[in-house]
Amino acid sequence: MSNRDRNTRTFWLTPICGVVVGAAFAVGSWVGGHPASGFVFLVVMVVFSGALVVVSRRSETVRGLLDRRDERISSIDLRATAASGLVVIATVIGAAVVEMARGHSGEPYSWLGALAGLCYLLAVLIQRIRG
Amino acid sequence: MEFAVLGNHVRDLRTVRRMSQAELGAALGVSRQTINSIETGRYLPSLALAFGLARFFDRTVEEVFVVEQR
Repeated sequence: MSNRDRNTRTFWLTPICGVVVGAAFAVGSWVGGHPASGFVFLVVMVVFSGALVVVSRRSETVRGLLDRRDERISSIDLRATAASGLVVIATVIGAAVVEMARGHSGEPYSWLGALAGLCYLLAVLIQRIRG
Repeated sequence: MEFAVLGNHVRDLRTVRRMSQAELGAALGVSRQTINSIETGRYLPSLALAFGLARFFDRTVEEVFVVEQR
Protein backbone atom coordinates (compact mmCIF):
# COMPACT_ATOMS: atom_id res chain seq x y z
CA MET A 1 0.00 0.00 0.00
CA SER A 2 1.46 3.37 -1.02
CA ASN A 3 1.72 6.37 1.31
CA ARG A 4 -0.98 8.10 -0.74
CA ASP A 5 -3.39 5.17 -0.26
CA ARG A 6 -2.56 5.07 3.46
CA ASN A 7 -3.15 8.82 3.83
CA THR A 8 -6.46 8.56 1.94
CA ARG A 9 -7.62 5.73 4.20
CA THR A 10 -6.54 7.62 7.33
CA PHE A 11 -8.28 10.77 6.08
CA TRP A 12 -11.63 9.00 5.80
CA LEU A 13 -11.34 7.09 9.09
CA THR A 14 -12.69 9.85 11.38
CA PRO A 15 -15.66 10.87 9.16
CA ILE A 16 -16.60 7.19 8.70
CA CYS A 17 -16.33 6.61 12.47
CA GLY A 18 -18.60 9.64 12.97
CA VAL A 19 -21.25 8.15 10.67
CA VAL A 20 -20.91 4.71 12.31
CA VAL A 21 -21.34 6.26 15.78
CA GLY A 22 -24.39 8.14 14.49
CA ALA A 23 -25.81 4.89 13.09
CA ALA A 24 -25.14 3.14 16.43
CA PHE A 25 -27.03 5.93 18.25
CA ALA A 26 -29.87 5.61 15.75
CA VAL A 27 -30.12 1.82 16.16
CA GLY A 28 -29.89 2.13 19.96
CA SER A 29 -32.61 4.78 20.06
CA TRP A 30 -34.79 2.81 17.63
CA VAL A 31 -34.47 -0.35 19.77
CA GLY A 32 -35.26 1.75 22.84
CA GLY A 33 -38.42 3.03 21.25
CA HIS A 34 -37.24 6.52 20.30
CA PRO A 35 -36.59 6.30 16.54
CA ALA A 36 -37.07 10.06 16.04
CA SER A 37 -34.28 11.06 18.44
CA GLY A 38 -32.11 8.31 16.93
CA PHE A 39 -32.65 9.81 13.49
CA VAL A 40 -31.65 13.24 14.84
CA PHE A 41 -28.45 11.74 16.32
CA LEU A 42 -27.66 10.15 12.95
CA VAL A 43 -28.27 13.40 11.04
CA VAL A 44 -26.10 15.37 13.50
CA MET A 45 -23.22 12.92 13.14
CA VAL A 46 -23.52 12.75 9.33
CA VAL A 47 -23.55 16.57 9.12
CA PHE A 48 -20.58 16.77 11.52
CA SER A 49 -18.61 14.20 9.48
CA GLY A 50 -19.45 15.98 6.22
CA ALA A 51 -18.45 19.33 7.74
CA LEU A 52 -15.08 17.86 8.74
CA VAL A 53 -14.41 16.81 5.14
CA VAL A 54 -15.51 20.17 3.71
CA VAL A 55 -13.58 22.26 6.27
CA SER A 56 -10.44 20.14 5.74
CA ARG A 57 -10.16 21.65 2.24
CA ARG A 58 -9.59 25.09 3.78
CA SER A 59 -8.09 24.35 7.18
CA GLU A 60 -4.60 22.85 7.54
CA THR A 61 -5.39 21.94 11.13
CA VAL A 62 -8.53 19.95 10.30
CA ARG A 63 -6.79 18.29 7.34
CA GLY A 64 -3.86 17.39 9.61
CA LEU A 65 -6.21 15.95 12.21
CA LEU A 66 -7.79 13.76 9.54
CA ASP A 67 -4.83 12.60 7.42
CA ARG A 68 -2.26 12.59 10.29
CA ARG A 69 0.56 13.53 7.94
CA ASP A 70 1.68 16.49 10.01
CA GLU A 71 3.63 15.45 13.12
CA ARG A 72 2.88 18.71 15.00
CA ILE A 73 -0.87 18.46 14.46
CA SER A 74 -0.76 14.75 15.38
CA SER A 75 1.05 15.75 18.59
CA ILE A 76 -1.62 18.40 19.28
CA ASP A 77 -4.30 15.74 18.66
CA LEU A 78 -2.59 13.37 21.12
CA ARG A 79 -2.38 16.03 23.85
CA ALA A 80 -5.95 17.18 23.23
CA THR A 81 -7.13 13.56 23.47
CA ALA A 82 -5.21 13.10 26.73
CA ALA A 83 -6.69 16.33 28.13
CA SER A 84 -10.20 15.21 27.14
CA GLY A 85 -9.56 11.83 28.79
CA LEU A 86 -8.44 13.53 32.00
CA VAL A 87 -11.57 15.67 32.08
CA VAL A 88 -13.79 12.62 31.52
CA ILE A 89 -11.96 10.62 34.21
CA ALA A 90 -12.20 13.52 36.69
CA THR A 91 -15.92 13.81 35.93
CA VAL A 92 -16.45 10.07 36.38
CA ILE A 93 -14.62 10.11 39.73
CA GLY A 94 -16.65 13.15 40.84
CA ALA A 95 -19.90 11.46 39.79
CA ALA A 96 -18.92 8.26 41.65
CA VAL A 97 -18.20 10.27 44.82
CA VAL A 98 -21.56 12.07 44.54
CA GLU A 99 -23.38 8.76 44.02
CA MET A 100 -21.65 7.28 47.09
CA ALA A 101 -22.53 10.38 49.13
CA ARG A 102 -26.16 9.80 48.17
CA GLY A 103 -25.95 6.37 49.75
CA HIS A 104 -25.62 4.44 46.49
CA SER A 105 -22.85 2.08 45.43
CA GLY A 106 -21.31 4.55 42.99
CA GLU A 107 -22.16 2.38 39.98
CA PRO A 108 -21.78 2.67 37.06
CA TYR A 109 -19.27 5.50 37.59
CA SER A 110 -17.02 3.44 39.85
CA TRP A 111 -16.80 0.77 37.13
CA LEU A 112 -16.05 3.40 34.48
CA GLY A 113 -13.29 4.83 36.69
CA ALA A 114 -11.86 1.36 37.23
CA LEU A 115 -11.96 0.74 33.47
CA ALA A 116 -10.15 4.03 32.82
CA GLY A 117 -7.45 3.17 35.37
CA LEU A 118 -7.04 -0.33 33.94
CA CYS A 119 -6.80 1.02 30.37
CA TYR A 120 -4.15 3.51 31.47
CA LEU A 121 -2.04 0.80 33.14
CA LEU A 122 -2.41 -1.46 30.10
CA ALA A 123 -1.44 1.37 27.74
CA VAL A 124 1.66 2.18 29.84
CA LEU A 125 2.63 -1.50 29.85
CA ILE A 126 2.17 -1.88 26.08
CA GLN A 127 4.02 1.35 25.32
CA ARG A 128 6.86 0.30 27.63
CA ILE A 129 7.20 -3.09 25.89
CA ARG A 130 7.09 -1.44 22.46
CA GLY A 131 9.84 0.93 23.56
CA MET B 1 24.98 15.00 28.98
CA GLU B 2 22.09 17.33 28.30
CA PHE B 3 21.39 19.33 25.17
CA ALA B 4 19.07 22.25 24.55
CA VAL B 5 17.90 23.57 21.20
CA LEU B 6 18.21 27.35 21.38
CA GLY B 7 16.97 28.20 17.89
CA ASN B 8 17.31 27.44 14.22
CA HIS B 9 18.16 28.96 10.84
CA VAL B 10 15.17 27.56 8.95
CA ARG B 11 13.73 31.00 8.12
CA ASP B 12 17.08 32.27 6.79
CA LEU B 13 17.69 29.14 4.71
CA ARG B 14 14.14 29.27 3.34
CA THR B 15 14.24 32.94 2.38
CA VAL B 16 17.60 32.48 0.65
CA ARG B 17 15.84 29.93 -1.57
CA ARG B 18 12.90 32.33 -2.03
CA MET B 19 10.46 29.73 -0.81
CA SER B 20 7.23 30.29 1.07
CA GLN B 21 6.45 28.42 4.27
CA ALA B 22 3.70 26.57 2.41
CA GLU B 23 6.14 25.44 -0.31
CA LEU B 24 8.68 24.21 2.23
CA GLY B 25 5.92 22.45 4.17
CA ALA B 26 4.68 20.75 1.00
CA ALA B 27 8.22 19.63 0.15
CA LEU B 28 8.61 18.06 3.59
CA GLY B 29 5.07 16.71 3.95
CA VAL B 30 4.04 19.02 6.81
CA SER B 31 1.75 22.03 7.07
CA ARG B 32 2.63 25.71 6.66
CA GLN B 33 1.71 26.15 10.33
CA THR B 34 4.31 23.61 11.37
CA ILE B 35 7.05 25.37 9.39
CA ASN B 36 6.00 28.65 11.00
CA SER B 37 6.06 27.10 14.48
CA ILE B 38 9.53 25.66 13.86
CA GLU B 39 10.85 28.98 12.58
CA THR B 40 9.52 30.87 15.59
CA GLY B 41 10.85 28.24 18.00
CA ARG B 42 7.42 27.27 19.29
CA TYR B 43 7.73 23.71 18.04
CA LEU B 44 10.72 21.40 18.20
CA PRO B 45 10.52 18.98 15.27
CA SER B 46 11.07 15.24 15.50
CA LEU B 47 14.47 13.82 14.63
CA ALA B 48 13.10 12.66 11.26
CA LEU B 49 11.77 16.11 10.36
CA ALA B 50 14.96 17.79 11.60
CA PHE B 51 16.99 15.54 9.29
CA GLY B 52 14.49 16.21 6.52
CA LEU B 53 14.99 19.95 6.90
CA ALA B 54 18.77 19.60 7.00
CA ARG B 55 18.86 17.36 3.91
CA PHE B 56 16.50 19.67 2.07
CA PHE B 57 18.86 22.61 2.58
CA ASP B 58 21.99 20.45 2.02
CA ARG B 59 23.18 21.16 5.56
CA THR B 60 23.85 19.12 8.67
CA VAL B 61 21.35 19.15 11.53
CA GLU B 62 23.85 21.13 13.62
CA GLU B 63 24.02 23.78 10.89
CA VAL B 64 20.25 24.17 10.85
CA PHE B 65 19.59 23.98 14.60
CA VAL B 66 21.44 25.92 17.28
CA VAL B 67 22.24 23.38 20.00
CA GLU B 68 23.89 24.03 23.33
CA GLN B 69 25.36 21.41 25.61
CA ARG B 70 24.51 22.00 29.27
